[in-house]
Amino acid sequence: MSEYAVKRPLLSYKFSLEIRQQMAWYWQAIILAASLLIGLLISGAILVAAGVPAGELLNEFVLYTLLDVQSLQSVIFQASPLILVGLAGCLAFRARFWNLGLEGQMIFGAIGATAITMWEVGHPAMRLPLMIIAALVCGLLWAVVPVLLRLKLGVNEIVSTLMLNYVAINFLLHLMYGAWKDPKDAFPYSPKYEAFELLPDVFGGLSLSIPLALVIAVVVFWFVSLSRAGLYLRFVDQSPRVARALGVPTARIILITVLFSGALAGLAGLMVAAGQEGRLTHSFYVGYGFSGILIAFLARNNPIAATCAALLIATLFVGGRSLQVFYQIPFAMVQLIQAVLVICVASSDFFIRHRIRRIQGGD
Amino acid sequence: MKPENAIQLTGVSKTFDGFRALVDADFTAKWGEVHALLGENGAGKSSLMNIAAGLYGPEGGSLFIDDNAVELKGPKQAARLGIGMVHQHFKLVTPFTVAENILLNLGHQLRSGWHRQRLRQVSDDIRAMAKKLGFHIDPDARISRLSIAEQQRVEIVKVLLAGAKVLILDEPTAVLTEDEAERLLTTVQGLAREGAAVILVTHKMNDVLRYADQVTIMRAGQTIARLKPDSVSVDELVKLTVGESAERSEPVMNAAEPGDALLSVRQLVSQVSDGHPPLNGVDLTLHRGEIYGIAGVGGNGQSELANVLMGLPEAVTGEVELIGEGSLSDLSALQRRQLGIASIPADRYGAALAGPLSIADNFALGDIHSGRYGPPWWLRQRAIENASDAAVLQFDVQGVRSQKQKAALLSGGNAQKLVIAREFSRPPNLVLAHSPSRGLDVKATLAVRERLKAARDQGAAVLLISEDLDEVLTLADRIGVMSAGRIVAEFSQPADRQAIGQAMVNHV
Repeated sequence: MSEYAVKRPLLSYKFSLEIRQQMAWYWQAIILAASLLIGLLISGAILVAAGVPAGELLNEFVLYTLLDVQSLQSVIFQASPLILVGLAGCLAFRARFWNLGLEGQMIFGAIGATAITMWEVGHPAMRLPLMIIAALVCGLLWAVVPVLLRLKLGVNEIVSTLMLNYVAINFLLHLMYGAWKDPKDAFPYSPKYEAFELLPDVFGGLSLSIPLALVIAVVVFWFVSLSRAGLYLRFVDQSPRVARALGVPTARIILITVLFSGALAGLAGLMVAAGQEGRLTHSFYVGYGFSGILIAFLARNNPIAATCAALLIATLFVGGRSLQVFYQIPFAMVQLIQAVLVICVASSDFFIRHRIRRIQGGD
Repeated sequence: MKPENAIQLTGVSKTFDGFRALVDADFTAKWGEVHALLGENGAGKSSLMNIAAGLYGPEGGSLFIDDNAVELKGPKQAARLGIGMVHQHFKLVTPFTVAENILLNLGHQLRSGWHRQRLRQVSDDIRAMAKKLGFHIDPDARISRLSIAEQQRVEIVKVLLAGAKVLILDEPTAVLTEDEAERLLTTVQGLAREGAAVILVTHKMNDVLRYADQVTIMRAGQTIARLKPDSVSVDELVKLTVGESAERSEPVMNAAEPGDALLSVRQLVSQVSDGHPPLNGVDLTLHRGEIYGIAGVGGNGQSELANVLMGLPEAVTGEVELIGEGSLSDLSALQRRQLGIASIPADRYGAALAGPLSIADNFALGDIHSGRYGPPWWLRQRAIENASDAAVLQFDVQGVRSQKQKAALLSGGNAQKLVIAREFSRPPNLVLAHSPSRGLDVKATLAVRERLKAARDQGAAVLLISEDLDEVLTLADRIGVMSAGRIVAEFSQPADRQAIGQAMVNHV
């Protein structure tokens, strides 16, 4: 009576895919760690293909980079501005504001801090705190325009923040080749900061920048998880429409969060200038904006995870630099590895959002 | 010979995150019949039908169409086999027009041609189908401009145009007025008489009794009974559904004398650049200690009025005044809540609950400003969770395993109870409720209505906007009929149902 001769059960195929409603945090962490591991394995394979002996990889990254005191110091040293741009990314993205202007805000933070040194504002003892304040304020100011444009006129912040990066870079070049050029040797960088204008070392050769970055990570964690604004921010992040309907002060929350983000990026600029370079140079910022976005993404906008991700990226930077020296591997390879990690973590999202089930066939 | 059974599911099981939604459920619908699937919220009706429509894969069990076993790999395949489902939460692309949505759904079935030609062809089909069903649908209207009831009509037309022979309607009458529901059900009954199989997922006993040829009753994921509705009494049906004897409907209870005027709405007019303004001069006064019901056919300005009162964006002129507090126009929903205004919007997950956030987070917003949960710089998570736990108990929100659980995991009735629990976390002066029992089962509906009456009895003013005339008649002390953006008539209880019905349609 029918064209189907055999009655078959509803499902004989092996897997079904469904949207998962909820997943325990530890499973999410395990999946995330597994995807990072896969990313690292792929990266290792790429490096081996590029001519690094396989046995040396472990040496380079684990032994020389993490177990050697000096390298570890330089990882931590490298990490602090990365932690700050990462946190800046987390904040902005939580407000659903795609702040691609981290680099510009960083440059302006550094310019603000350097202005204090150039104009010798305040007593030497007060110089560093003033520089910190100037960096925070200038980074914040560089975020004011795009966020107000977005909130008042609906201007897309992706374009405005990205374009303002170019304004900031060119303004920096203008200063470096003009008014702020070091009169001593006429290279395009500012005069060296005075000793009291540098971030001092604290215990055992660690720059003040790392404890500062960790304290700020805790502050950001407090802001997003424990404050009332953080509750509002969760609504703005997860259900903007519902947030508006419930009367969450959406615009105010976005404004505060984005300005916070800009200020942190500005402070990251100060950390590079006063913590690493000891002066303002025209190329210190390269890649930090991208790394900030990446760290926030790897950490799923979680400030504590962002701190860990920043340390990972810093390890990559430092390890990559020694690979560059010993094996003539181009530094671009480090960026390639970053990209591989991002792709792996992005794909892991699929496993967190979906449940894959093996189904018993009924035959 | 055509097989008798249109669709048959046997021994179907399904688990969601450890919760057994379906336990060995069976269901059979025959060609030519209207088959009601009756059960409370969370009984598993929607899950079972989602499996029939290819949306979920079951963990066990079989599906037969025309007595042939089939494996569904997805909703597209189900559609090819003639199974069409109208979901309770509509699957429409809101910025698109009606015709674009329907074209999107059945694009591949149309003969090829330019997009415009195909769009025109679809528009013609929509008009023809709408006419046949007695709907008024403008194919060029944007979905975002349509009311919930209008969107549902689009969904029905969409499924029928895709060639559905087995038509599954999930709570179709929940959003319709009595007349519309009657027309819809008569229409689908007609489709069944022409040979289709119509499955009516519902918890409305009246729909079952009047229109269904067969009824299957589900409870707690299992199919309890399959019988002819005319062979049993309403009480028996209710008993089978609920599992215990529940009160079916409460007598109209009139409040004590209404108190002072609390809310005054004057000359609300929508600001629209062209066409017909959704609100066209609404005037009403609401007193303490009364429930004022607004009845009317869907799409006559009820949603817009609810938006204005609840503080959602809506461009209007006119005056909304909370007497003693002044104009509400510039206050956000949060500020309104501080004045003791509780809002229960119709669109639960679009305007009331953030699905991805926890129950505690959703609850906290209700009384965030009082300092009960700590100062702005320090939210006391424990205090929120304790208060939320207490409210969950007090308002009987079921299915809360943890305060950290996502609100989206609650079933419709429990989500609504959570909304009410939050909105009542401060004793309200004014309660605004828009279709508060939409999609809820008997028990949950009763619970929601009890809450509204309790608020009224404690001296609050309650505004009930509902397209369900029965609900308005059961609850309201005074009834205003809304039509074409105005209150066209007011009735006091006991109101004459016929007269209200007349007022509802005369002005359309």
